[in-house]
Amino acid sequence: MDLLSLILWPLKWAVELILVGWHSLFSALGLPPEEGLTWVLSIVGLVLVVRALLIPLFVKQIKNQRRMMEVAPQLKKIQDKYKGKKDQFSREAMSRETMELYKKTGTNPLGSCLPLLVQMPIFFALFSVLNDSQTGKSGVGPLNEELSEQFGSSSLFGFAPLHMSFSSAMNAPGGPEVGVMIVAAIMVVLMTASQFITQLQIVSKNISDETKASPMFKQQRILLYILPFVFLFSGFAFPLGVMFYWLVSNIWTMVQQFIIIRNMPMPGTEAAKEREERLARKGKLKPAESAAGDTLVVEEKKPSQRQQPVGKNRAKKAAPKNPAVAAPKNPATTGPKNPSAPASKNPATAPKSTAPAATSGTPQAPAAKAQPEAGTASKNDGK
Amino acid sequence: MTGVTANQSQDLAVGQSILLLPRNAAVAALIAYRTAISPLYGEVCRYYPSCSAYAMHAIAQHGAVIGSGLALRRIARCHPWAAGGVDDAPLKKNFRYTVTPRGFVVPASHRKG
Repeated sequence: MDLLSLILWPLKWAVELILVGWHSLFSALGLPPEEGLTWVLSIVGLVLVVRALLIPLFVKQIKNQRRMMEVAPQLKKIQDKYKGKKDQFSREAMSRETMELYKKTGTNPLGSCLPLLVQMPIFFALFSVLNDSQTGKSGVGPLNEELSEQFGSSSLFGFAPLHMSFSSAMNAPGGPEVGVMIVAAIMVVLMTASQFITQLQIVSKNISDETKASPMFKQQRILLYILPFVFLFSGFAFPLGVMFYWLVSNIWTMVQQFIIIRNMPMPGTEAAKEREERLARKGKLKPAESAAGDTLVVEEKKPSQRQQPVGKNRAKKAAPKNPAVAAPKNPATTGPKNPSAPASKNPATAPKSTAPAATSGTPQAPAAKAQPEAGTASKNDGK
Repeated sequence: MTGVTANQSQDLAVGQSILLLPRNAAVAALIAYRTAISPLYGEVCRYYPSCSAYAMHAIAQHGAVIGSGLALRRIARCHPWAAGGVDDAPLKKNFRYTVTPRGFVVPASHRKG
């Protein structure tokens, strides 16, 4: 416990500084310093400062998500490779390959665990600041005894003290304080609703169909509907001030998420389709953007295997021929698919690829071979 | 004779189970976190496996103390400027136990039963 308060000390200090700073600003602007509204606005100010400090992290995340467009074809290749494979091992292998791709291309769209880790202690620090002020203790820093008492006893709408929670109002010495309980209940509902909407936005719009099909996701989706109710109950124990902080922070997240999903959706998701439609309606969509997937795939289709060295005489014979006519025989132009040379290396794909060589299957086979596990990809050229 | 050895191996298994208690308690806590709390904010980790999955593996392999240390190091690595990628928990060289599909660690002999 002591270690925890030692860790929290600097954070509590910072939280107090920001709160007192906003409080004196609002007081200077003419709001009565002991009024609840002033302190409530100070909590809003605290949220603004904390979330604004986290904006650079989100900007970086958005930039990475934009760069995801560049790797979208490669990502799609991985997704196609594991299409219809819903067992745990395929899912895991797919996640691994996706992560490897992100790392290689420097386009990791995930925000890392840091923003969460930063916010949690701030939340606890505010909790303990409010708790201390309730028991009349002064803060560890800028929040002196007078301000602490003011903060603790200041109230929302004039009758719901910030330090009180639903449970403490229910067990108040002078009988249950119904007004406080109602305010707390409304806050819990609003808080849960905002959390729910934020999650629903992500789940319903910003997740690709492939992810949606996985059993893991379905499990998560069920949890999404259960968890707000878990929150509902645990929320009753928090003081109104903490809940208010949480609520404002949730609203910030909700708006931020809305803007991000609308303007920079993950490629291959419903939100991305909607954005393209919106842009198309306005006539702003560049043709290159919609066709990006196809053009880049064509670039990928380079033979990965070394071309068989061809003697000058044979090359001369092969050169004047039309490649389409030459395809069934394919002596030199499609070197890697020559069954005699690499067949031993890749028995699964090589014999098959000779048959449809004249059709569009021609460029596909080398691309499949480029992937490490050619066996799993062979279904592409099998059909 | 055979009864004595059977008893001895059973004692060993019981002793091992007690020895494995801290790490299994930690694994249970992590399973609870992964089912109840972590879905709340979705996928955020820049690595595969995620930080909590890494922590589970590390603790199962190396015990509660060393495993937690490894997990803390991993969380410290998981910041927005990290490249991310595949980063598995290191395996213990002479790992003597069996890990169940859920992630709990049991004495190796349990597997036969």
